[in-house]
Amino acid sequence: MIIQILLLSGLVIFSILAILLKDLLKAALSLAVASLFLGIIFFRLDAPYAGVFEISVVAGLITVLFALTVALTRKDSEVKEARLTRLAFPLFFVIFLIIDGLVMKSLLQQVPALPAGPETGSFGEVLWKSRTFDLVAQLGVILAGVLAVLALFRKKEEDKDE
Amino acid sequence: MAFSFIFIPLLLAACLPLIGKFSKKLIPDVLTNAALAFLLFNSILLIKPVLSRGSFFENINWFGENINLQIALDGFNLFMLFTISLVSLCITLFSIDYLKHYGHQANFYALLLVMVAGMNGLVLVIDLFSVYLFLEVAAVASYALVAFGLGSEELEASFKYLMLSVVASAFILLSITVIFGLTGSLSFQAVARGLQDLNAGLAVGVCLAFFIMGFGLKAALVPFHAWLPDAHPSAPAPISAMLSGLLIKVSGVYALFRIVYSVIGMTPALSRVLMAMGAISIVVAALLALGQNDIKRMLAYSSISQVGYIILGLAIGTPLGIAGGLFHLFNHAVAKGLLFLNSGSIQHITGTRNLNELGGLGKKVPITAGTNLIGALSIAGVPPLAGFWSKLIIIIALVQAKHFGYALVAVLASILTLWYYLLIQRKAFFGPLNERWQKIKEAPFWMTTANIILALLCLLVGIFFTPVFNTWITPAADALARGVQQVLMWGI
Repeated sequence: MIIQILLLSGLVIFSILAILLKDLLKAALSLAVASLFLGIIFFRLDAPYAGVFEISVVAGLITVLFALTVALTRKDSEVKEARLTRLAFPLFFVIFLIIDGLVMKSLLQQVPALPAGPETGSFGEVLWKSRTFDLVAQLGVILAGVLAVLALFRKKEEDKDE
Repeated sequence: MAFSFIFIPLLLAACLPLIGKFSKKLIPDVLTNAALAFLLFNSILLIKPVLSRGSFFENINWFGENINLQIALDGFNLFMLFTISLVSLCITLFSIDYLKHYGHQANFYALLLVMVAGMNGLVLVIDLFSVYLFLEVAAVASYALVAFGLGSEELEASFKYLMLSVVASAFILLSITVIFGLTGSLSFQAVARGLQDLNAGLAVGVCLAFFIMGFGLKAALVPFHAWLPDAHPSAPAPISAMLSGLLIKVSGVYALFRIVYSVIGMTPALSRVLMAMGAISIVVAALLALGQNDIKRMLAYSSISQVGYIILGLAIGTPLGIAGGLFHLFNHAVAKGLLFLNSGSIQHITGTRNLNELGGLGKKVPITAGTNLIGALSIAGVPPLAGFWSKLIIIIALVQAKHFGYALVAVLASILTLWYYLLIQRKAFFGPLNERWQKIKEAPFWMTTANIILALLCLLVGIFFTPVFNTWITPAADALARGVQQVLMWGI
């Protein structure tokens, strides 16, 4: 139970950081960490495939895409947010917490549990035995992301030297 | 042996940035070309076992333990591997001289090799989620390669390409998720078997619609084509050739038709939808190409139009139509690779891609002009070049299947294609020589060599059409025409 609460707290905290942080790269990394927490929660809820896909897609691939997008945008294209926009998220978050507390518990009890799919197993079994090829592809995505950042930032460094 | 198509380019890509610290040019040039030459040789060696066994299955063991690295090889994906290796090798040969003014060869080759590994992986895997992941491996590398020049035009084009490509990926992923929910599996074989036993027409229809939107965006079919005329001209010429020659076909056409034929199963309704989309792409993009003054932009629109032909052929559903579509895929990969590399040569020689500024170049650069003419005539479908035969087969297949309207569209659009390619010839290579180009000379050795190799391929494949067709196209078309049975008979 304590681990469950810690994982959920980590998920919520890093999700909030992903929205509130001004530095886009840090926000993307926060989202990746939040996704990692969600992936672990999926595993603990006996949904190993959902966990593997969550970590593969959101923690891995989407983070690379965000980093690439940040690399493609210029520093001078920052947009200042209106004050009202900055208040919108905390307000929405409070409203969500209230609705969650009042409605979700009774609502979840009415949703029938889905039968377990044929492809189940522990984290290790799923990752190393069933989805090994995904790891190769993940390495490819990360390598592509690293090489892309090296390629796209190279001229900026040269400009600095000039 | 087939795993080398993924691991060799990935491993070399990981090492190249380090190698680039010691040797800026020579070793990256040699290693990249040697790796791709090896893959081409490997694909030729694999044709014998594929022809004798129909299809086979490979599994890797790690110190005796099964780690579930599985791939299946049949005529269709071997044909794609051969095409990828052949065109990539010509492109890297061209890059030896072309990259001199960009610099950072090691980094460029590393990204290009990751893109090749992504495409090869996509072609070899037997699982829907792995298709998605390798699609992204190739895509992430291609975003960076489009922006490699780092000019504002390149960055903007790459950004637009990234945004639309992410939308495509989202549709594909959504569809894979629904299929996983329906069948509880992701492997081609289990999904094919699961969908046969399932009565879920509506859900499968929705999945197909998402797949068509997603892969249609990747293949730049009309109306999902908006990103391509910006992304392809902005990229360095070798990357334009990779994108137009290979990437849109692998991540769009191959993935869509592998899933449609081998996993879900082709239906008459789906055939009609895809044929209509193909025909619309042929006509709309051909008309749009006519109004362009930028050579690469015209070629980009031409790619959309020619992908329309490929889709039209493959969607007919008859063995002859599939063979015609696949043959046109190969011919277009070679000829469009040639034309984009050639446009790079023209830009290298003159510093411009604007057709209105060119003129009379044929007298000064006869090899560039000659190879351009061969590529253009091949795509336009002029005999005896390779493109003529593939278009002829598609048209015969349409007539045999009694789709006379589509056959007429294919013939008339071919005339349009010839028209805009002759416009390039007239404006760039014929007529009086513009005084600005009095002192120009041919492109450097490797750029010209790559152009000559691809031009010879257009010519020789046209002349020796029968052996090429029997060795490469017929096994690929047979694998696809077998439909769902093809994956069900893989001995997994």
